[in-house]
Amino acid sequence: MMFGLLKGLGVTLRQIPKKNVTLQYPDVKPDWPDRFRGVHKFYPEKCIVCNQCARVCPTSCISLSGTRGEDKKMHIETYDINFEICILCDLCTEVCPTEAIQMTDTFELAEYSRDALFKNIEWLAENGRQHDARKGKSDDQANHDAKAADKAGEQ
Amino acid sequence: MAELRTEEMLLNVGPQHPSTHGVLRVVIKLDGEIIREATPVIGYLHRGTEKLSEDLQYQQIIPYFDRLDYISAMLNNHAIVNAVEKAMDIEIPERAEYLRVIVGELNRTAAHLLFVGAYLLDLGAMSPFLYVFMTRERIIELLNEISGARLTYNYMRVGGVKYDAPPGWFAKIREFIPYFKEMYQLFDDLITGNEIFISRVKGIGSYGQEEAINYGLSGIPLRSTGFKWDLRKNKSYSVYDRFDFEIPVGTNGDNYDRYYLHLLEMEQSMRIVEQAIDSIPEGPVMGKAPKILRIPAGEYYAAVEGAKGELGVYIVSDGKDKPYRMKIRRPSFVNLQIIPSLLKDQNIADFIAILGSIDIVLGEVDA
Repeated sequence: MMFGLLKGLGVTLRQIPKKNVTLQYPDVKPDWPDRFRGVHKFYPEKCIVCNQCARVCPTSCISLSGTRGEDKKMHIETYDINFEICILCDLCTEVCPTEAIQMTDTFELAEYSRDALFKNIEWLAENGRQHDARKGKSDDQANHDAKAADKAGEQ
Repeated sequence: MAELRTEEMLLNVGPQHPSTHGVLRVVIKLDGEIIREATPVIGYLHRGTEKLSEDLQYQQIIPYFDRLDYISAMLNNHAIVNAVEKAMDIEIPERAEYLRVIVGELNRTAAHLLFVGAYLLDLGAMSPFLYVFMTRERIIELLNEISGARLTYNYMRVGGVKYDAPPGWFAKIREFIPYFKEMYQLFDDLITGNEIFISRVKGIGSYGQEEAINYGLSGIPLRSTGFKWDLRKNKSYSVYDRFDFEIPVGTNGDNYDRYYLHLLEMEQSMRIVEQAIDSIPEGPVMGKAPKILRIPAGEYYAAVEGAKGELGVYIVSDGKDKPYRMKIRRPSFVNLQIIPSLLKDQNIADFIAILGSIDIVLGEVDA
């Protein structure tokens, strides 16, 4: 009659000597895989103002503007992402032809005001610098080269 | 002595109730402890996915599908890309098909695990939930590694999948499978034989096969009545016809059968994953698909077996790159329909046990 209950109790007893599986966040940060889609980083010098990221965005959270410089090339002037509505779907980084916009492993987006979720070009570039410093530039370069090789292979 | 005056009591369960698994309100009329009438009120999580889709290109719709049944987003991804591919007659590479099956079945296991944990939590058992989350976390980590997100994967594309598996990923699944089998045994020990659990679920909330079909149920709520209907077998899509697996069915259509089928299905899903990682072919993961997807004018329907039942996508196209109208057949929404007749004349103590066993996700009910 009580056999099932005792069996369940056995499971509990077997668990006692085992190690904890939880992580002491925020003291210990999770170790995200390379592909993790966190907040974006942006390289202004790479951007060619093709507007593809803004067009493909399902929630239209990207707005950008640029001017044509003296060297007849387009230069980015403003680049804003509204993280109130961004769903981190990664479509913008997928269409970017120069890898100017990429995802990082930053994921802590809590702010005290909604306006603070509106991130501009400086913030995104700074996030990129921090991420590169964290990951090591060589690592990022290798990743970039691998992606470029992939794109060359597709064509 | 005057007779005691009695009256029916109206009770709102939800929308903020821990056991309605989201924002569902059920208005129940009580006669003492007996439920005389139950009316689900839905729409608290309505985002208008179908209407939004009319203004989005097909590749932009995929992230919105992640957010329908958010605990099995891979299967939702499969539903939309499968529908678009069928409509446009796009061939996709073998390796991509296998990857879709692997991630889909892993995700189905994760969704069923969550059901088992949450259902037991509804019935007042705390510890199974913790064991379930330990196991589910391993699957979520695997899917995070391949797709880059823990819940909203956005992994499949029309014409294939976004990424190939990272190095060492298949080895990690091979490590996970024995761990899963061990945990499966543990769930069986901890839950299935437990006398308290059995007295809460056995013979409660049962319905017949005919009633289930009349209500249009699919998935486990239908199979629990003994009706063998699984789209992976009956209307095979992707590469499911190449794997050897069974469709477990119940007999009584009660809470216990629905709970136990979730366990049995996880075992079958793992069998598929095991076979798929052994036989996955080499090759590209993205086939030839046009950059701008234009479905020829007409009407198309394609369905996959989601975690909750038949997840279908009906597309009406007028030849543009956006759907003219998109209807999503959401299994949770259809399965919820049986609730009023199922709860009628039941004890209020069984309310949560019955509602939980139907396994609804409100993101999918409200879309």
